[in-house]
Amino acid sequence: MVSRDQIESVLGRIRPMMQADGGDIELVDVRGNSAHVRLTGMCAGCPSAHMTLYMGVEMALRDEIKEFEELVVL
Amino acid sequence: MRAPGTFSPDNVVVGHSPRMRAIFDFVKVVSKSDSSVIITGESGTGKEVIANLLHHASSRRHQPFVAVSCALFSENLIETELFGHERGAFTGAIKDKPGRFEMAQGGTLFLDDIDDVPLSMQVKLLRAIQNRTVERVGGTRSISVNVRVITGSKRDLKKMVAEGNFREDLFYRLNVLPIVLPPLRERREDIPLLSDFFFSRFARARGIDVPAISPAVRYAFSRYRWPGNVRELENACERIVQTCTCGTVRTGCLAAGVLFGAGDPAGAPAAAAQLTAGETPSISLDDRLRDVESNLITWALKVSDGNKSRAAELLGIKRSTLGDRIVRCGLAEPAAADAAPAADAASADALDGAAVSRPEPLAVSA
Repeated sequence: MVSRDQIESVLGRIRPMMQADGGDIELVDVRGNSAHVRLTGMCAGCPSAHMTLYMGVEMALRDEIKEFEELVVL
Repeated sequence: MRAPGTFSPDNVVVGHSPRMRAIFDFVKVVSKSDSSVIITGESGTGKEVIANLLHHASSRRHQPFVAVSCALFSENLIETELFGHERGAFTGAIKDKPGRFEMAQGGTLFLDDIDDVPLSMQVKLLRAIQNRTVERVGGTRSISVNVRVITGSKRDLKKMVAEGNFREDLFYRLNVLPIVLPPLRERREDIPLLSDFFFSRFARARGIDVPAISPAVRYAFSRYRWPGNVRELENACERIVQTCTCGTVRTGCLAAGVLFGAGDPAGAPAAAAQLTAGETPSISLDDRLRDVESNLITWALKVSDGNKSRAAELLGIKRSTLGDRIVRCGLAEPAAADAAPAADAASADALDGAAVSRPEPLAVSA
């Protein structure tokens, strides 16, 4: 079971930059080995930004947390 | 061989870094000579750009510029590629074919990736450069060639000589005028200039306005290591211009590798992002639009400290419309945000303040 802290520590690496742009990646829920996140701020409606989230953040989470399974963007 | 392309000396960004300025000054000086130039630099640092520049600044500029990557060919192919072959020299050689040396006659020959040329071939190369003559494969006559030879290498040839992987005599023949290009991470001061140049070039090509660049993106660009150097920066800018949907480049536009690489405390590149696209999920346009609306309203309320008149102004809508939309999006009103309704011009400063502070979690019931 993945802990909230583990996920937050990965998200924390990109969070300051997203916040500087008036956005954020909010960890809404951790279910089993999957995380539910929400993109807020100016990039929230951008399909390209969602692609970044799906592909990049999930990849980073899987790299750093072995048991991590799936990133769900709400 | 690479396409001759559309090189123009006007499209070269010099940059502010003292090292690059010195290099460009040196290029001006040595372009007048016919001596061999060797350009050393990591992949993507601009070796071919410098070679092109040398050619275009020389008296040979109206003659051909031929660029060949020696890494593209197998050992046997390099010889026919560089020197050409006669009809019947080998199976499939149905007609005479001039080599790159002959094609560059009167002009400049840029041999990139010279460090990938096998030892057996190096001796033939040395003879061609030294005697200014080539012999086609299967041919007997010597063809004299008048070319200026510029070589490119991503490895330090001197070290390769010491290790026995590069012929010393060829090294000294090539290493008359050495130019060493620094990796982009060693001249970070040029990143803003280069990225602005690429952004405007790609925006022009796409027929859109040059996007605004957020400070966070500039920060990420300046922190990232750029292992692929200027070429990688160019590709990152192209990707962003092609995918940006809102006219402003923000962190969400960046490839995850750049974002994580820049966010890494060690400044080390993120684990090579072997990203594969997943299945495209179906989307509901209405839901998506409501998300966008609710996010923008949340943002506007945030930066105007909950002042709805100011938020409405920021969003370019009427104060009453904003109220309706807040209800429609189901945005709960933050308890403490009942600020005085007077639109306060001074709160424009709040934009800067809010840009770095962490947004409070305004309740968004999506």
